[in-house]
Amino acid sequence: MSDVRQYELVYIAPPETTEEVLADLHTQVAAVVERFGGTIEKTEAWGRRRLAYEIAGHREGAYVLEVINGPGALTAELDRRLRVLDAVMRHMIVRVDEDLAAADRARVRRKSATTARRVRRGLPPEPTESERQRRADEDDDDGGMDGGFRDRGDR
Amino acid sequence: MSEMDKDSRGGGRSGGAKRDGGDKAGGRRGFFRRRRVCKFCLEKIDYINYKDVRLIAPFIPERGKIQPRRISGVCALHQRALQTAIKRARQIALVPYVTD
Repeated sequence: MSDVRQYELVYIAPPETTEEVLADLHTQVAAVVERFGGTIEKTEAWGRRRLAYEIAGHREGAYVLEVINGPGALTAELDRRLRVLDAVMRHMIVRVDEDLAAADRARVRRKSATTARRVRRGLPPEPTESERQRRADEDDDDGGMDGGFRDRGDR
Repeated sequence: MSEMDKDSRGGGRSGGAKRDGGDKAGGRRGFFRRRRVCKFCLEKIDYINYKDVRLIAPFIPERGKIQPRRISGVCALHQRALQTAIKRARQIALVPYVTD
């Protein structure tokens, strides 16, 4: 593997944080990423969200997600910086490229297996429209499964 | 029918696994317990995203614990993936650690 990895950074700022402060945070993150020769693939501001538990006395937080491509050394520095900043209540950096690649491989493998199986049975490689329709009906049926296990779930 | 219901619950603690195994073959009337299948295999979900609360939430009962797969029927592979997803979601407060 090359040394460029993909990371997802999620940080949570206090709910009353202004746009300017959020923009400033973003530029700080961008500066660190740039210094290590990485790039920010996308930035997503989720806005204010309810927290599942209280953090630093807040019940809500402003979430921001950044998808970053870059070397591993970048995360250590980013982590250190974010820890110090008061404008960030909580942050998490997760490496995602391997998991996503594995998911991709799984998808491709399943697709080719399906195709091979269908060809062996003398069917067209792709499911036809009518087959797809039937599958959808069956899926509706399985909706009952949820109820099936939930009733024993919370004990 | 309710009698049978009670019975199966009582047995759930000790010889639960064995008994459940027998059920799906025998087909007990009234108490319909479909063979549990892994939701993620069924829906062909390869990557369990920690940001997708709607996907994860059904596997977190009221107390906030991770539901064991003997109850949810999730396959080992996906339970492992689900576990990391839930733990990540907890860190960024999308999902609670505990609720009482």
